[in-house]
Amino acid sequence: MMEVARCLVRCRGLLWTLVQRELRARYRGSVLGFFWSLLNPLLLLAVYSFVFGTILKRGDLVDVEPYGVFLVTGLFPWIWFSTSLLEGCSSLTGNSGLIRKAVFPVEVLPAVAVASNLMHFLLALPIVAVALVAGRLLGYPIGGWTCVLLPLVLVVETVMIAGLAFGLSALGVHFKDVRDLLGNVLLLLFFLAPIIYTLGDIPPELARLVQLNPMTSFTVAIQDLLFHGRLPAPQVWLTMTAIAAASWAAGAGLFSRLSDTLAEAV
Amino acid sequence: MGRPAVALRAVGKRYRRAAGGYRLRTLKSALLERSLTSGLAASDTVEALADISFEVAAGEAVGIIGGNGSGKSTLIKLVAGLLRPSAGELTVNGRVAALIELGAGFHPEISGRENVFINGALLGLSRRQIEDRYDDIVEFAGLGDFIEEPIKNYSSGMYVRLGFSVAIHTDPEILLVDEVLAVGDEEFVHRCIARIDEHLSQGGTLLVVSHSMGLIDELCDRAVWLDQGRLRAIGSTRRVIDAYFEAVAAREGEAHERRRALAAEGGESQTGAEETAPEEEEILRWGSGQARIVAARLVAGAAREERYHLHCGEAAAFELEVEPREELDDFVFGVGVKTPRGVDCWGTNTDLAGYEPRRLSGPVRVRLACPELRLAPGEYTVDLAVHARDGRAYDYRRRALRFTVAESSALRSIGLYLPDHEWHVEALGGGAGDGAADRQAAIDWRSPDHSESAPPRSGGAPSDSRRME
Repeated sequence: MMEVARCLVRCRGLLWTLVQRELRARYRGSVLGFFWSLLNPLLLLAVYSFVFGTILKRGDLVDVEPYGVFLVTGLFPWIWFSTSLLEGCSSLTGNSGLIRKAVFPVEVLPAVAVASNLMHFLLALPIVAVALVAGRLLGYPIGGWTCVLLPLVLVVETVMIAGLAFGLSALGVHFKDVRDLLGNVLLLLFFLAPIIYTLGDIPPELARLVQLNPMTSFTVAIQDLLFHGRLPAPQVWLTMTAIAAASWAAGAGLFSRLSDTLAEAV
Repeated sequence: MGRPAVALRAVGKRYRRAAGGYRLRTLKSALLERSLTSGLAASDTVEALADISFEVAAGEAVGIIGGNGSGKSTLIKLVAGLLRPSAGELTVNGRVAALIELGAGFHPEISGRENVFINGALLGLSRRQIEDRYDDIVEFAGLGDFIEEPIKNYSSGMYVRLGFSVAIHTDPEILLVDEVLAVGDEEFVHRCIARIDEHLSQGGTLLVVSHSMGLIDELCDRAVWLDQGRLRAIGSTRRVIDAYFEAVAAREGEAHERRRALAAEGGESQTGAEETAPEEEEILRWGSGQARIVAARLVAGAAREERYHLHCGEAAAFELEVEPREELDDFVFGVGVKTPRGVDCWGTNTDLAGYEPRRLSGPVRVRLACPELRLAPGEYTVDLAVHARDGRAYDYRRRALRFTVAESSALRSIGLYLPDHEWHVEALGGGAGDGAADRQAAIDWRSPDHSESAPPRSGGAPSDSRRME
């Protein structure tokens, strides 16, 4: 695990170069170019708020206002999480030509998937800020100084996502099935996270199930800091740290055990 | 010289077979033993390399030759660190640059300039180093303004040139080249070779895989010959290349022989049922059948053994056994040597030679003997015929025999015919002065056996030791 971390520190220059490549290449050739990284989450947000805010909304089911702003604080971190895992999972198999032909630290590939999606998330944060300010101007008691603690959560969450991405990427080399499975698991996890509802809206026994979702505590923490303007409870911090540590230990550990054979297996 | 740049001790490499069904087992052995194959039975793996031991001294240039699938690329990848040996020990001392697939990691959507920085970073250069070398890289690649275009608009040659340029500018101590020079145009290849020469003259080490024996001969001090994953020979470049050519020719000769044996079997079974002969057979063999060529072979060398690979200038004889169906008073035996594409190299018959037929009433063996068959290295086919003097065929057998003349680094030439030859040069008087010292300087060169000799001794062949037998 430490080998992987050390390697990433050592080749941070390469990591950064590849993240830039990723960001540059993604929207090259499209009319709106870079604005897609803002537009994509916005459009997704529009879809979700229409479906869950208008079509499915029962006044007594989800008790949170304004719903769109609440949704944005949970949805954007989720997009970062899920796209990082999906891209991370295929980061090795998708670059098999590179891995077989060039000598370079393979560790950067899953890391690039996580980091470039983190960049997209950060670039979309202004949307969250605008939504929060707008909500406040409309008189809702949302947001507050607690948002300055967001980076702290993001650091812990990055470790958690990176751990999973490393593990999934190495597994994906051996089992192509991982990617298909992952898509479905992510869909389940999305609905099992308090993104479109709050933990208070659902029955306690269901809430316990939702608590098992690794993303739940991160979602709750970010919603607390940004939307509710309050500090997350101590056990939320503890859970996040524990999940991140476990995820990194398992994922990076698996990756480094398998790293010797990756070039051959991929 | 100190430590060798590359040292292999009993190195072996196994691959798993691609067939599925072992995913869990390979994962388990990858996890526990860091190898994909240790959990698999021998039948589920392929041995790409076995028991390879040799050393490459720092500053040495070594060529790796061998047929397809002999393990050359695996060996290069092991040295590059892309693969790990499954047996034995491999040590590499020095910074390695592997020119295996050029431009791996280029992103098609972004410009050549940005790709130089990305590729350089992948190959281990810092941003500063790339900035310092950027101009050299672009100039070497010869792309001009195109460097600002997205890579997807590049021709394949431009792509490879840029890839090579970036890789060569990483200042490697050990340069690994795997058949990448085959893609560029002549001019670029020359520039690459010049650059590799520069690398060598600066004390760099080179390991190169190529099917171009000329290139290997030009660049390398020593050569390694791999054959089906095993080290067949190692030694001075020319010796190994010649041994390789020899083996290739022998293998081809055996193939010719097998084919001939098969054809003979088919031919015999056919004599009883001529109507059912397939059309193809008719094109390869025709005639009235008044006389038949029932056997044919090529014998070679002083020992007159049946053999289908020769050396240039070796004694060889074409033998055919002919059986007449009836008594004939008009008959000619003919032999024609052609290239596989049908170009006539040489042909003769007993009529041209002036023999006058009188009577053929029983089986005979006819031999056309050549004390020195001076065909240039390559593949040849032989047409054999018995016919009447006006050309009416009794039995004409097209491509009845095939043989290979072995290549050899000492016998490189162009064309089909290779007479015994020597180069002689002598300085003429005149020019800038007429003193002995000036004549001395009229020419300076290196003979093919790499002994400095300027000017050549009068009448001295460049390399007596390698003249043809």
